[in-house]
Amino acid sequence: MGGLIQDIKLRGHDLPKLEALREKGRNSFLSQGLPTPKTEAWKYTRVRTLTGNDFVIEETKVSKCSCKQHQTCCCTDQSFSLPFDAYEIRFCNGKLQNDHFHLPEGVEALPLTEAFDDPDIFHLLNKSFDMDKFPFAALNTAYLEQGIFLRIGRDIVLDKPIAFLYHTSGGLKRFACLRNLIVLETGAQAEMIEYYHYSGAPKSEYFNNIVHEIYIGRNAKLRHYAVQNEAFKAVHIALTAVKVKENGHFESFCLQKGADLARRETHVVLQEPDAKTNVNAVYMMNGWATLDTTTDVEHLAPHTLSGQLIKGVVGGQAKGVFQGKIHIAPKAQQIEGNQLHRALLLSDDAEVDIKPELEIFADDVKCSHGAACGELDAEQLFYLQSRGIGAEEARQMLIEAFIDEAFQTIENPSVREWIKSI
Amino acid sequence: MTTPLLEIEDLCARAGDKEIIKDFNLTINEGEVHAIMGPNGAGKSTLSYVLCGKPGYEITSGSIKFKGRDLISMSIEERAREGLFLIMQYPVEIPGVPTTAFLKHAVNAIRKHNHESELDTMAFIKMVRETGKNLGIDAEMLKRPVNVGFSGGEKKRMETLQMAVLKPDMAILDEADSGLDIDALKVVAGGVNSLRDGKRSMLVITHYQRLLNYIIPDFVHVFANGHIVKSGDKNLALELEEKGYAEFIRDKA
Ligand SMILES: Nc1ncnc2c1ncn2[C@@H]1O[C@H](COP(=O)(O)OP(=O)(O)O)[C@@H](O)[C@H]1O
Ligand SMILES: [Mg+2]
Repeated sequence: MGGLIQDIKLRGHDLPKLEALREKGRNSFLSQGLPTPKTEAWKYTRVRTLTGNDFVIEETKVSKCSCKQHQTCCCTDQSFSLPFDAYEIRFCNGKLQNDHFHLPEGVEALPLTEAFDDPDIFHLLNKSFDMDKFPFAALNTAYLEQGIFLRIGRDIVLDKPIAFLYHTSGGLKRFACLRNLIVLETGAQAEMIEYYHYSGAPKSEYFNNIVHEIYIGRNAKLRHYAVQNEAFKAVHIALTAVKVKENGHFESFCLQKGADLARRETHVVLQEPDAKTNVNAVYMMNGWATLDTTTDVEHLAPHTLSGQLIKGVVGGQAKGVFQGKIHIAPKAQQIEGNQLHRALLLSDDAEVDIKPELEIFADDVKCSHGAACGELDAEQLFYLQSRGIGAEEARQMLIEAFIDEAFQTIENPSVREWIKSI
Repeated sequence: MTTPLLEIEDLCARAGDKEIIKDFNLTINEGEVHAIMGPNGAGKSTLSYVLCGKPGYEITSGSIKFKGRDLISMSIEERAREGLFLIMQYPVEIPGVPTTAFLKHAVNAIRKHNHESELDTMAFIKMVRETGKNLGIDAEMLKRPVNVGFSGGEKKRMETLQMAVLKPDMAILDEADSGLDIDALKVVAGGVNSLRDGKRSMLVITHYQRLLNYIIPDFVHVFANGHIVKSGDKNLALELEEKGYAEFIRDKA
């Protein structure tokens, strides 16, 4: 085994209050090891690239953007901004850049290390998932430091999205572990964007390991958009673990387009009655990438709803993975859980592996799931071409039409247009 | 003076292992309307697909010239851009592609090919709406995805609209009357007739004579056993209506 496992014992930066938890993370990761094809949850997604690959954690004392000397710094790169107004929280090469957050009243943001002085906040850490089941979240815990705590106060309705902009610049084979803790109090409503982007050499190799823990209070609603557009040799592994209280709503959309190896896993627990979630996603790639979209929705309470629509377009020798689980606990009656996955294979060597799972322990349940892969429809292609439309343009029209259903789930039109343009 | 537009010579074509078109010959001059009539399964749709270059059909021998150029070596879109248009028997539904956007792509692809400037959205919409009016196609229908949820009649009217907008030199109508009631049939025939200008040619494929009461052909051909077995004028269609196709189908025994 390579760097990741060996170096994990080398600690850079002393953070005594986190040491006990980091130690647990370290031990959990070491006992799980990197997933192998025998690891059920990672059956289809190989992490070979990670073994023997010496990713480095940058000196943690360097807290500010270390790419300032480059022209492609996140602070100057225009392509790394959004075409609409948002509250921006910037990370560059795994380091938080904001001195100030400029958030409206009722919204609180703190760098994690400061936030942990509050025992109530510290108590939320690692409570949205069990790290012994998520090796990379355990690894993320072992390197806990960078990230923020964000709290949207009671009944606050945000006027514009909060955007987490994650920028990586070329050069070092960086390994970044990021953790954000997000709390929506009762009745709060917000939109949040995660945008992963790089600058510099397109062949940059780096590894982003991100965990978001999201707690959605009673009657609160979060619209969550994630855009993974990492460099094409990058590794991106993200866990979004969400807990939703009574009548709360977690609505998410994820686009994956970049990276060589990426897995975005969304785990939503509908804890109380009338909690809802929508987990929608699009993945599109060529080349040799492996992009994994994994979802797990747990219905623990009656009257909870979930819907998932996932669409993939895979060309070249790329591989898409979709694993989707719906779990319905014994006392959770009157449940509706729907899941639909569709993928389009654009070449003979493209591959999509699908694993839908339903675990239903209640009886008053409406559940549906469907998963399919296909090619572009030859009759439709012929029809378009027979009207004078060029073969390539016709293919593009059909691909866009196929994906569009998933993009239409994005309710905010400026966000939708931006995501479609990426 | 007659100028040949489409010249099919000794054409043989197959779908899969099955030889469907055998030694087929037909010349259509500019401005002429030809009808091809034949029993179900004769290969009429196959002929139209072969002319448009649909994948899955193999031409084993013979030649097709369009405006004097070899048609067989042209791509599907090139044929369309050169002025060949097919009203399909079963137009396919394309969810997610709005009709207007699709038609604009098509119009501009053809205009570009003809070295004409591309139409902007306003000019395009105006033109399509006006053309649509005569065919009973309203703005709402144009917003819907291509053919999705259209009735049989709506699909045929939409095909006619596309033909009117794309203004082909040669239109092939494959069973443009199938599934239409008499009113819808008149609308479609009206759309087709308004495009007859003495220069544009048409190949009207049909199983029944009925359509030919509304689109009056210059020539009628009987298609059986893979080729034309008899040709005549519009009266041949009436004769066929009366006697059926039995005498033309080769005894299989
Ligand atoms: N792709 C194909 N593969 C095999 N057989 C085909 C194919 N397309 C058509 N056929 C067969 O060729 C014959 C002619 O079909 P078609 O051209 O649709 O006839 P028509 O339009 O005259 O009714 C039929 O027997 C049909 O089953
Ligand atoms: Mg037919």
